This record gives sequence, C-alpha cells and structure tokens, in this order.
Amino acid sequence: MALIEIDDISVAYGTPPKTVLDGVSLRIEEGEFVCVLGQTGCGKSTLLRLVLGSEKPLTGRILIDGVEHHQPDRTRGYVPQKYSLFPDKTVLDNITFGPEVSEFSFLGHFTPRFFRRRRELRGAAFDYLRRIGLRESDSRKYPDQLSGGMQQRVAIAQALMTKPRILLMDEAFSALDPGTRRGMQELIRELWKATGTTILFVTHNTQEALRLGTRVIVLAKESPERGSGVKLDLPVPDPCFEEEIPHLVQRLESGAGWQASISLHS
Amino acid sequence: MSVGFLLIHAKPHRTSAMLLSWALFVSGIAMYLYVAQQRHRDNPEERVTPTIAQMARGMYDAALKPAEDDEQAAEGGTMLQRFWNSMLWKDTKATARRFIYSMLLLIPAVLLGLHMGLFPYIGAFFLRFVLFFDKIIALSLLPILFIAFGIDELAKIMLIVIGVTPTIILDTFNLTRGVPNEQLVKAFTLGAGDFDAAYRVVLKQIMPRVLNSIRLNLKSVMLFLFAGEMIASTDGLAFRIALLRRHMGMDVIIPYVLWVALLLFLVDFGMRVLNRKLHPWFQES
Repeated sequence: MALIEIDDISVAYGTPPKTVLDGVSLRIEEGEFVCVLGQTGCGKSTLLRLVLGSEKPLTGRILIDGVEHHQPDRTRGYVPQKYSLFPDKTVLDNITFGPEVSEFSFLGHFTPRFFRRRRELRGAAFDYLRRIGLRESDSRKYPDQLSGGMQQRVAIAQALMTKPRILLMDEAFSALDPGTRRGMQELIRELWKATGTTILFVTHNTQEALRLGTRVIVLAKESPERGSGVKLDLPVPDPCFEEEIPHLVQRLESGAGWQASISLHS
Repeated sequence: MSVGFLLIHAKPHRTSAMLLSWALFVSGIAMYLYVAQQRHRDNPEERVTPTIAQMARGMYDAALKPAEDDEQAAEGGTMLQRFWNSMLWKDTKATARRFIYSMLLLIPAVLLGLHMGLFPYIGAFFLRFVLFFDKIIALSLLPILFIAFGIDELAKIMLIVIGVTPTIILDTFNLTRGVPNEQLVKAFTLGAGDFDAAYRVVLKQIMPRVLNSIRLNLKSVMLFLFAGEMIASTDGLAFRIALLRRHMGMDVIIPYVLWVALLLFLVDFGMRVLNRKLHPWFQES
C-alpha cells in the first residue's frame, strides 16, 4: 500500500464553479521525494492542501497510509512559502513548539516533568540548529530578526522536530535569492536522506524540481473548461548529476508541452 | 538649496521638532493667563477664569484637606496622610474602582472576539448581534439602564460595557481573522489542538494589537464612566466636577480636568510600556 494515495480527485472553486483539478490520481510511496511542477494557477498548491487535509475534494479521496484525514495533523509536516514561523516565539521556542504542544496540556506546562522534557527538547533543537547552519546565539532571536533563508531553515527544523512521516512544502524556497535557494536545496536533500521522510514539494521551477525530486509530477490544464490533470510523471535518477539536468529539463518541458523559456531560471 | 520647511520631504531638526511640539501648550497657557488677568482687572470677583494662584489654592484644598464628608479625618498628619484623606484621593479611588471593573469586563469581550473569529459556529451565532449592538448609542440607553439597574454601580458599569465591549469584540474578531491561515494549519501539523491553536498561537499573536485597541478605547471608557458619574453618583472625579459646576468652582474644576488627563496619560503610557515588555517581538507599524 502506498503512503499517499490520491484517487481520482476533482476540485472546483467559485460561482459558477471553475474546475481546478480534474480526475487527478497519484500514488506516492514511503521515502519518495516528489516534486509537483506546473505553471501558476494549475492547482499545485491545491493538491498540497488536499494532502494536508486543510481542504476537501469535490469528488475522489485521499488516503494517508490507508486512512482518510479530514484536517491537518502531526502525521504531515508543513512548510509554506510565507508565515512559516510563529512571530511571537523565539527560534528555539518555534522549534520546540511541536513536541511541547503535543506532549503537554496547558496545565502540564507547570509540572516538573515539563521542565525536564523541555531541557531534552532544547538539546535536540540545538542539534537541529547546527544541522541547518544556524548559531546558538540565533536561538534567542525572533523570526523577524532573521533573513528569509534563515526563517525557512528554522521552519524546516520546526516541521522535522515532530518527526512527521510526510513533509509538505509549498513553494518553500520561491521567495529566496538564487544563492540562498541553492543552499536550501542542498539542505533539504541532506535532511531527506538522513530522516527518510516522504517529501511532497510544490514548485514552479523546473530545475529545482529536477535537482530535488526522485520523481517529478507535472500538472497541466487539459482545457479552459476542464481543470488540471497529471500531464507527466517523470522518475529522476538518484543521484541526478548537474550535466543531466538540461536534458531532463528538455524532456520534461517537451512532455508537458511548455515553452522552455518559462522555467529555466534557477 | 535644502527642502522647504512646509514640504513633505522636510526633515525638522530634533530641537525644532521639540520646540514645535510644545508651542501650542505654551501659547495656550499664555493666552489663558492673559485673558484671566484682563478679566480679573475688570472684575476682582471673577470666577470663570481663575488665576494660577486660585487654582493652586483650590487644588491644595482638594488634595491636602480632608474630604467634606470625612469627619473623622484630622487636619494634621504627614503630607501623604493628608492626601489619603483628601477629596481628590477619595474621588480618584472611586473612579479608579469603576474603571478597573470596566477593564476587567473587557477580558470576556476579548475572549468572545477570539472565539468568534476562530470557531465559525460561534461567529455565526454572535456576529450579527454584536454588529447591531455596536450601532446602539450607549448614552441613549442611559435612562433605560438607570430604570433597569438602578442608580448604583451596576448601571454605570453596564453603560461602559454597552459602550465599549462591542468595539473590543469586533476589533478582536477582526484581528483573529487577520492571522494567516498558514499559522493555524502549521500549528495543527505540529500537534496543536483547537485550544492550543486558539490560546497558544492566535491569542498570543493578536494580544499586542488587542492591548493597543483597548488603549485607543480608554477615552471611550472614561467618557461613559464620566457620563454615569455625572448623572448618578455620590463620589468620583466626574461627580465632583459636576458638583463644582453648580458653584462655579472653576478653580477646582480646571485642576481636576488636568488631573484626569494626567491619569489617563499615565494609564496609556503604562499600557504601552507593558505591551513592549510583554511582547518584545511586536513591531508597531
């Protein structure tokens, strides 16, 4: 049984309803790094929100490990493009928030066990800080004192701290400059290899999808009346060497029916 | 050539800005002193524009002499003891008590606004009613309140509740709705339940703005409180001002008004400092 089973889903918004996704089916196995690619408005983020459970499909169903989930929970970590950290919490408190909130009730915060556990969690959070390349002194900073790249690093650590089976990333690196973005791509690959978490990564950048994913799914609009469907499901060799990327980009874009110029920026 | 001083891009020097900010105060005081002096020259019994000396004497009596109805209080004692027994302190205490009750009643208003913004069924149940209630002019309800709740404290407190809580509820509701959905989804994916999402994520994020909203409504709270005190009360700062009006006691009314303004300024300042200390992450835009 696949970890994520997306079974013939359709989604429509507005009045009169405008179909966004139409008959999309996918199976994602445990440990895969799947990138969902497509032009703006093709329903990539909608697909991710459906897997997250924050939206419901009009038809079809989504199973996580064989079970339907109707709202977000800790089986699926989430890193959005914006608002990924809690602005009122320091970096350290953001990272430890997940385990603290899931292990202790409000009153539980006043027990000696909480303070013991908190010390352990802080130790683990400092380990993550080092892995994502932040200094210990950064732990006391608030999110708005960090750069965009640092914020997204912390958001990834925050999501991984609860050890989710699936990590959903929605254009998580889109707002970053090319240099920082490249660093983040290497980081997420390393963390994926180290933790074995299944990752569903939404992006509109072809090269990013090919650098990161073990599989690239392309969503494309069927017609103005019908919503997007899976146009291409391309396995990517692991490791994928840089010199292979132009060839893969060409294959991908010809398969998806795009003009190459739309997505050749890195 | 530097930018002209009346243009948008003008950059006033620190000293000029400081001088400008005090200019209206100084000219206002100067004008008052001039008018008072002129009127006293024409009529030595003039009571509408008391001189500084008369106001100082009036304030001295109010702040350091025992209240009229306090027969047991002695005239002597230290300055502080005399102040504790004074009319000014007694009135301030009475008004402050009502003010604190009113502020405490704003806590349920904030919680209601939070729940309305987060839980759709609670929002659907209350929103229309609160919106309607917000449009009612609280002062127009004053006679009804006095009939329904009597002329005791309850009517005055209810006046403030009716006047201010709908605004605070709606402000909190809007602030709650303004928290990005990503934050809620994120909290759930980290293992938070509804209670955690409401109190550990959303309430903590909106709290500095809620405090600001309450701070901006302080004047409304005081307005309703004063209206209640002036109409039906036996103590309090507004009661005293209304009472002294009958005797043309401008030498005490003016210092009382300034005292109220000072107190309100201190509460506002205190809330701003508290907000900064409690929420160091919050940058007011």
